[in-house]
Amino acid sequence: MEKLTIALAKGRTAESTIELLNKAGIEFPDFHKKSRKLVFSNPEETLKLIFVKAVDVCTYVETGAADVGVVGKDNILESGADVYELLDLKLGICKFSVAGLQDQPPLDEAEKLTVASKYPRVAENFFRQKGIPITTIKLNGSVELAPLIGMADVIVDIVETGNTIRENGLKVMEDIDDISTRLIVNKSSFATKTASIQHIIDQLKAGLE
Amino acid sequence: MEVYTFDPQDANIREFRMRDQLISAMKKRFSLYGYQEIRTSAFEPYELYSNDAGTIPQVEMIKVIDRNGKVLVLRPDVTIPVTQEVAARYDSLPGHIRYFYVMDVFRQSFDGNGSKERTQAGIECFGEKSAEIDAEAIALAIQTLKDLGVRHFKIEIGHANFFKEVVQEMQLSGKELDQLKKYIQAKNMIEIGPFLENLSVEKHIADAVSTIPFLYGKPEDVLAKAKKIALNDTMREELESLMDVYGVLQAYGVEDHIVFDLGLINHMDYYSDIIFQGFIDNVAKPVLMGGRYDRLAEQFDSAIPAIGFACDVEALLEGTKEELTQPVTAADLTIIYEKTKQQEAFDIASRLREEGYRTIAVLATERTQANSPSIIQITEKENVLISGNDIRTFEQIADLKDFL
Repeated sequence: MEKLTIALAKGRTAESTIELLNKAGIEFPDFHKKSRKLVFSNPEETLKLIFVKAVDVCTYVETGAADVGVVGKDNILESGADVYELLDLKLGICKFSVAGLQDQPPLDEAEKLTVASKYPRVAENFFRQKGIPITTIKLNGSVELAPLIGMADVIVDIVETGNTIRENGLKVMEDIDDISTRLIVNKSSFATKTASIQHIIDQLKAGLE
Repeated sequence: MEVYTFDPQDANIREFRMRDQLISAMKKRFSLYGYQEIRTSAFEPYELYSNDAGTIPQVEMIKVIDRNGKVLVLRPDVTIPVTQEVAARYDSLPGHIRYFYVMDVFRQSFDGNGSKERTQAGIECFGEKSAEIDAEAIALAIQTLKDLGVRHFKIEIGHANFFKEVVQEMQLSGKELDQLKKYIQAKNMIEIGPFLENLSVEKHIADAVSTIPFLYGKPEDVLAKAKKIALNDTMREELESLMDVYGVLQAYGVEDHIVFDLGLINHMDYYSDIIFQGFIDNVAKPVLMGGRYDRLAEQFDSAIPAIGFACDVEALLEGTKEELTQPVTAADLTIIYEKTKQQEAFDIASRLREEGYRTIAVLATERTQANSPSIIQITEKENVLISGNDIRTFEQIADLKDFL
C-alpha cells in the first residue's frame, strides 16, 4: 500500500488523538508524551506522523506535504482550505461563540461592531451572514481582554466550559458553530492513494465505536 | 582562455528546457489526435466576461483601460473566447472542429501565492455530443499524461448537472446553496445531516444529497448506488450517458485510471454535462480539468455543443520534474577569432549554421569564454579545431568534412 503522511496538531488534543489512533490499531511506538521529536513512523513504516502547529495542519494537507491531517474544526474554518473533511473524531469538543460585556446589547440590535478574534475569517463570515458590518481586530491570545479595555465591542472565540469568559466578566451572546477534531484529506492524495486512505478511515471509524 | 560547458544548474535555462520538452510532447500528442493549434488575443473586452455571470469572479480578472477608455481584461480563461470565435463563424456545425492551444491565462491570484499567470495546454472539440467524443477527450488526456512519463494517476469523472438537479428540488437561498456546495466539495458528512435537517427537506431528497459525497470510486459501483437516489428521469439519463462514455473508455483500455465522483463540482459554471479532473502523484491539486459545455455557445447566439480540457503546465512540471539527461549547452561550436580575421570567421560561422550547428562567434579577448563542446580558433597564424581530445589545424571549412 502507498505510504501516508499524517499531520497532527500539537497541543491540547494531540494526546487523545494518539490514544484514538492506538485504539484503532495504529501504533507509533517511539511516541512518548514528553518526547520533543516531531516525526514518528509506525513499525511497518507505512505511516509517518508529523507534529505541526495546529494552525498549520490545513496548510500541510492542502499543499500535499501531508496526505491526511487531524485538526480542530476551528482551524479548518479559519483556513478555508480546499480539502476533504471526512471524519469527526469527537475530540476537543467546544464551540465558536460571540461574547461581550454583561451590558452589551443583543447582536441583532447593533448597527456596526468592532470584533476582536484569533479567527478573523470566522468572525467576518458570521457577521456578514447576519448583515452586520464589522471591523475585525486580529489578536493572538488573551482575546477576553479586548472588550474589558474597550478595544472591541465583542469577541469571537472558542468556548469550552465558559469559565474563562465568566471569570473575565463576559457573557456568551450567541453560538456560531460546533467544533471538534476532524480528519481532513488532500484531494489529490484521496484520488491517487485511495486504498490507503480508505483503510485508515475504516480503522479510525472502528476505533471510534 | 577558459573553456567550460554551460552551468547545468542555471535554473532559467533548465526550467525553460523542461517546460519546452513538456509542451512539445503535449502538442505532439494533441496533433496526433487530429487537433490543430490556435491562439486568441491576450486582451479581451470586459463585456465578454461580465455578461457571463458567475463564471469568473470579477475581482479575479486583471483589467486594463485602453486609450478610448474601454475596459479590457487579460484573458482569464481560454474556453470562453474560443467558443465565441467559433460561434461567430458558425450557427451550427455539421461535423467536428478539433482545436488545441498552449496559452497563458491571467488571474489576480492563483493559489494566493502572488502569481498572476498560468500556462494552460488544452483542447476543445466543437460539434455534436456523443459518448465517443467525450471518451476521446478523456482518453487523450490520459494518453497525454502517459506521454509525460506519469505512471500513477487518476481521472475523476462526474456530472455537472447531477448535483444541480438535486438542488432544484430543494428551493435553497443563494447562501444555503453555497454552504451546501462547500459541504459536498469537502465530502463533509459530519455537517450535511444537521444542515439538511434545519432546512426541513423531504426525506428522499435529503437522502439523495447526503449520498452524493459517497458516490466515489469504481464506475460500476458508483452508478449502481447513484441509480437508487436518482430523483427523476433527467438524472437517470445523465447516469446512462456517463455509463456510455465509460463503455467507450473501456475500448480505449484506460479503465484503470478512471474513478467516478458524482460529488465533483467545478467552479466554472459553463459546464453542463460530463466533467472530469486529473490527479497525479506528488501534486496536491488537479493537473487537468475539463468537461462538456453544450450551452456556452448560446451566449453568442449559436447552438454548438463542445467538450474540452486544459492542463495546468506549471502543476505538471512540478509533478514530472525529471533530470535533463543531456548537458545544457548554448551552442555546439564556438568560433573565437582575432579582429583581422573577422570576415573569415563570419563566413565559417554561417557555413556551420547552414549545416545545422548551433554556433557562436566571439572576438578573442583576454576574457573570452567558450560555452560549447567544440571550439574553433581563428588567428593570423592558423585555424584550429578543438573538440575534446581531437585538436587539429585546418585551412578552410571544407577540410573539416570528416569532423562535421
